[in-house]
This record gives sequence, C-alpha cells and structure tokens, in this order.
Amino acid sequence: MVSKPDPKGTPRAASRRDFLKTGLMGGAAIAAGAGAAKAGGDPLITEIQDWNRYLGEGVDAAPYGTPSEFEAHVVRRNVPWLTADPVSSINFTPLHELDGIITPNGLCFERHHGGTAIINPADHRLMINGLVDTPLVFTMEDLKRFPRENRAYFLECAANGGMEWKGAQLNGCQFTHGMIHCVVYTGVPLRYLLEEAGVKTNGKWLLAEGADASAMTRSIPMEKALDDCLVAFKMNGEALRAEQGYPLRLCVPGWEGNMWVKWLRRLEVGDQPWHQREETSKYTDLLAEGKARRHTWVMDVKSVITNPSPQAPVTHGKGPLVISGLAWSGGGTIKRVDVSIDGGRNWREARIDGPSLPKALHRFYLDINWDGSDLLLQSRAIDDQGLVQPSKDQLRAARGGNSIYHNNGIQTWHVNTDGVVENVEVS
Amino acid sequence: MLKFPKSAAIAALALAVCASPALAEGDADAGKKVFNKCKACHTVGDGAKHRVGPHLNDVFGRTAGTAEGYKYSKAMIAAGEGGLVWDDATMAEYLANPKAMIKGTKMAFAGLKEDADVANVSAYLKSFAAEPAEEPAAAEDAAVETEDAEVETAAATTEDTAEPGAAEMTFEASKGAFGLGRVATVEEITAWDIDIRPDGAGLPVGKGTVADGEPIFTDYCAVCHGDFGEGAGRWPVLAGGHDTLTKERPEKTIGSYWPYLSTVFDYVRRTMPFGDARSLSDDDVYALTAYLLYLNDVVEDEDFELSNENFTSIRLPNEENFFDDNRMSEPHYAQGVEPCMSDCKPGPVEITARAQVLDVTPEGEGDENAGGGID
Repeated sequence: MVSKPDPKGTPRAASRRDFLKTGLMGGAAIAAGAGAAKAGGDPLITEIQDWNRYLGEGVDAAPYGTPSEFEAHVVRRNVPWLTADPVSSINFTPLHELDGIITPNGLCFERHHGGTAIINPADHRLMINGLVDTPLVFTMEDLKRFPRENRAYFLECAANGGMEWKGAQLNGCQFTHGMIHCVVYTGVPLRYLLEEAGVKTNGKWLLAEGADASAMTRSIPMEKALDDCLVAFKMNGEALRAEQGYPLRLCVPGWEGNMWVKWLRRLEVGDQPWHQREETSKYTDLLAEGKARRHTWVMDVKSVITNPSPQAPVTHGKGPLVISGLAWSGGGTIKRVDVSIDGGRNWREARIDGPSLPKALHRFYLDINWDGSDLLLQSRAIDDQGLVQPSKDQLRAARGGNSIYHNNGIQTWHVNTDGVVENVEVS
Repeated sequence: MLKFPKSAAIAALALAVCASPALAEGDADAGKKVFNKCKACHTVGDGAKHRVGPHLNDVFGRTAGTAEGYKYSKAMIAAGEGGLVWDDATMAEYLANPKAMIKGTKMAFAGLKEDADVANVSAYLKSFAAEPAEEPAAAEDAAVETEDAEVETAAATTEDTAEPGAAEMTFEASKGAFGLGRVATVEEITAWDIDIRPDGAGLPVGKGTVADGEPIFTDYCAVCHGDFGEGAGRWPVLAGGHDTLTKERPEKTIGSYWPYLSTVFDYVRRTMPFGDARSLSDDDVYALTAYLLYLNDVVEDEDFELSNENFTSIRLPNEENFFDDNRMSEPHYAQGVEPCMSDCKPGPVEITARAQVLDVTPEGEGDENAGGGID
C-alpha cells in the first residue's frame, strides 16, 4: 500500500515498548496454541479449569461492581509534563480500549482547575441572579422536581489534540484524542430554571459559576442557554462522579468542555459577556499574525481511528482486520466517515454502527482484509451541515503554528508490517 | 413564606432543646452545628486528617502550630514557640477574630461573632480529646432519649427556642410557574456574586498601591509565579512576553496577551492564593493587581494606587487584538466542496514526521518537557 517504507526502519522506543505488550498478550496466546496442538487439543478445553471446578464469589462480594481484574490496565492516564500540578491538570480517556459510543463513568477524562470539590448534595445550592425578575435559590431536592430529559452528548476539551498542533508528538489516541467522553445525562433543561426566575429582556448573557476552589466561570450567550443546555445530576443513570461535578453540572451540548461548569452553584444573567480568565487568557485561539479568536465555542467536526492505534497494535497478523473509530461534531450528527489506508490518497466510506445522535459520539467501522503491508490509516468525518474534517496542514495554513485549541485535523497512524502502530504525519 | 428545609428545622430544634441546659458551659451538640462552618478546611473525629487546615483532634492543650504533618504558617509556628497553648481563653480569642490574634495565619475564616458559638464549638472540639473532659456517653444517651419528644413538640416550640441559622431562616417562595426554589436574599447574592466585568461592573470599593502589593505577592504568589511573575516550573508566567505572540514560543502574560484588567482582579479574588481562595481582602486584591501592572510595565510608579475609582482607566496593551469566532470563513470550511475519494494526492504518500522522534509519551522514560501544551 505504502510505496516507500520509513528509511530509518522501526524506531527503537516503539519496538521495545510495543514488543513487550505484544509479547505478553499475542505472544503468549500463540505459544499456548502451539503446545495444545501437540497434545491433541487446547488444554484450556481438554483440561478442567479452576473456574470450572471451584465456586466463585457470591453476590455482594462487590456491592458496587468493578471491572474484571483482567481489565486493570484500562484506566485514565495523565501526561505529567503537561501541567504544574495534578490539582490543575487533565487526564485522558482510554479510547483504544472502548467500543460503542458511551464512555463508562470511571473512564471519563478529568479536567480540574482547583482539584475535585467534595460536596454533600444536602449542602449544595444553585442560585440564579442578575437580570431576572426574581433571584432564586434551589436545593438539589428542588431541582429534582422539575421535568427531566435524558440526552447523550459528547464532551470534548477544546485543548484535545493541542499537544499535536506543532507536529506528531504523543504515541496513542488516548493522549492525542482522549480529552473526550460521551455519556447519557439526566437533568433539567436550563430554560425551565431561567423561566422560573424570569429573564429580563436585556438578559443576553449567562455566567455559569462552579463551587470548587477555582470558582470556574464562563459566559454563555442566552440563545444557547435557552436552546439545549441541561443542568444535569446523573450520568449514565447514576449520580455524577465527584470528578465530573457531583452533585450538579452544566451541559452545553456541542460546545467546548470548559463551559460545562462542574459543581454548578450560580447562574447570573447579564447584558454582556464577563470576559473571565477562561475566555480571555485561556480558550482563545492565537493566530499567525498575533491576533486571537475568542468565543470559539463550537467543537469542530472530527474523527479518529481508535483501533488499531499505537497503544492497540495489530497482534493477529494479516487477514481480517477491524478498523474502528469515533466521529463527532458540535454541529449535530455525523453524516459520513471516510477511511483511507494509504495516507489519504484513496478513501472509502466506513460503516456507522449504533445510534446516530446529535452532538454525541458516533462509532464507525471499516472491515478489511489486511495483506500485511504497511498502512497509513486516516479517518475523515463529514457532519450533517456538510462540514468536512480538515487536514492538519489545512489548519496550520489557516491559523499558523501557535494555536492550541480546536485541533480537529485528520490523524494518521502508520501500521508497519509487524502490526506496530505509530503516530505520524504524512505528505 | 416557607420554612426550609423542614427536616433540617426539626433537627436544629432537637439540638437547640438539648443545648439549653448547658449553654453557659458550651454545648457539644450545638457546637457540632457551628463546626459546619469549619468543615471546609478542618476535620475532627475518627480518621480525621489534615486538609486545608490541620485536623483538630486533641487540639485543646496542644501548643499552637504543632500538629504533626501539617504545614503551618510561619506566624502560627512562631506563636507556638512563643508559648501559645490552646485553652478556653486562647481558643475563644482566636475564633472570634483569627487574623487579629495571629497576623499571618493561613486560616481564612473571618471569625465567630457569637460568644455562644465559640463556647459551643469549643465544647464540641473537646469531645474529641484523647481523655474526654466530660462524659460523652451520657450526652449521647440524652440526645437519643430526647429525640422523639422533640419531633412531637416541634410545631409548638420552633419559633422561640431555635438558634439562628439557615435552618431557622424564613425565605420567600418562588413565584415562578413551578413554584420551586425560593427567593435569594440580598446577603446571599452579595456573598456569591463577586464577578467583575471590563466596564468595572462588580468592583468593590477599595484601593491598594504597587508598594502594598509587593510584599503580598512575595508571601502568597511568588512560590508558584516567581518573584517577578516569571513563573516557577510550569506554573503560569504572569509578566513579560512582550512582542512574542508571533514568535515560535509565544509567552501569553497579563501584559502581552490578556485583554482586560478586570479579569486579573476577578480571578485573583475568586481563586488566589491557589488552595486558599477568598482569603485576601479587597484592598489586598487591588494592591496585587497594581503590582501585576507594575511587573508588566503598564504602570511604572511604585506609588501608583489602583482603586475602584481609577480601575477602568487602565487598559491592557493587547485589548484590541481579539475578535469573535470566524472559523467558518477559513478556506477548508468556506469552500464547502465534496471531498475527494480517489487519487487525491499526486503520488504515493510519504511519512514526514513521527511521534517517536520526540518520545514524550508517558510509560517510557521520556517524561521531559516537550513542545506544545494544553495552556
């Protein structure tokens, strides 16, 4: 497929790190299989196994269940050099270990600006003040008496992929694309709460504020607040996780994750934006000429192949290969995903499987018969507004080299003949 | 009008009735409620650990600044070395006005206004001594015995026996369509609504000079931000960076990048010092903001005084260089063409860059700083 293999051969670090993984998983399976053939059958079948003979644990061994011990490696991971201290930092969702469109609660990436606030829901209050007829205070009990909605939404940090802006840097889609998750939220439409307080006619903006030690604040235009925002208290059916804003968070569907204020305690209505720290010094997009875009709220049309990827190499050799990935757009649904195996020279349409919901993750597959040669895998999403995911070079041409946020460029993975995968950029 | 929340009102009443016989000495059960004000920072009881403040087990009789493993302010350590031991008198003085008694204490708490609250919370803390001075078992029994009675008599006695507090405050009901929630009081809005806008809306009355700000910055800020705002480690750089926005490694500081001074005041007041938010006075924040202007060469006089009067006259150099989102005008979006499906590149595709060259992915040895970041 790829005419010219890398002249330097397989990089040293990749081969060592990935060989270990391959050796532990694929290698062990092959060895067992070979031994079994000599004995006339796979001992896992011909011999009675412990789990087949002895009783397992009864119910209530784990009143709140945990993943199988064999999945212990499926965890969020941090990139220590990125930030000064874990209390104001980020970790990453292990996208390469997941399938479907819903992220398990314990694997949703975390981003805090002042650590995880621990709040007893009985002590939590939500205030609405500013340009309203009546400033109000709600308890959690009050909020649960409003009509509720259930909606699946992705939440993506605007900085997702920010470390890749200048070039390929991190080897794994967990790190290049893992500042995203998608869960089903249960909550109250924000407009019900605003209507309860009565927004004055000059109330054009909303300031959302968190109760944590960073007292996170963002300005949101009233049009969006009254459209599809939710004040959520459940994720995937259970209470929000502490690190996701328990007991209450704001959902701002399709817009950058920083606006989804966690530990939501206050909503102030005003007639102009507040220009808070996270919408001036941060979350603004510095362009080549030194000027910066602000209020870049919508998350762009984007996709990534999650398998194979650097942390999930191909261990089974040539033959049937499932290429799988995620696509999303803050504008709505994903209309189509194209996949290339030759670095973007030729494309074919992938198969979207599972629900196609607006502002939610979409799962796509391309099932190929791998001939064992080098692959340069890419995916390209197209949303229901017709917007096409751009290449990294197109983004750099438009914005220069100093942007951080809103990197939705097409990702390339190089799969070598051994199935080892590396993050690369291509011509 | 509504009482709110009902269950809390009953519980508070139960406490109040228990408290009345022993009020003069301080009542541990009433003190437990007062301690709610302290719980954001302090823990007490089984498994208590240091949090923002030290754990308070055995605090009575302890020399100030000596709980093992807690990082005290210099002022508190000095007080202990000077012979301060926590007893009824010293604790009462401290809790009434912490910063007046120990200037430089890390404790941000403003103080307890009611003598009864001081006595009660002291009694509560004494109940977590290694050798309790009173008989906690008897007190517990009493609480259990009286529980039922209080619930039965709640309606009759609520109004005249309860201690003041949220549980006993009365609020106006919402008049909205659902009638849910209740009207926020002026005091509540004042307590939480501290945001500042570029037009000066929200600025509190106050003032501070560059010279006032310098020692505050040195004491509270320099540990992370450096003595001159140059930043320590990966903590934010606050000053410098002029003319770097078009360079390869732009330095986005208050002086080089931030559009509005109001953002500095707002953010410092709501978040700083990091880990002890809301502990600075408004004058302190004015002084720090003035000092940050000085570090960024926006003002050059050490006697410059920033106040709510002259605040909006100060403009930051980069204000004009921000504009609203226009991504849809970028060529890759604006063209709106159907994407190419075959022979889209002239020849075979080649690899031009590889992540392994940098090798900064965690799990390897390469945890050194790399280019790029999340800002």
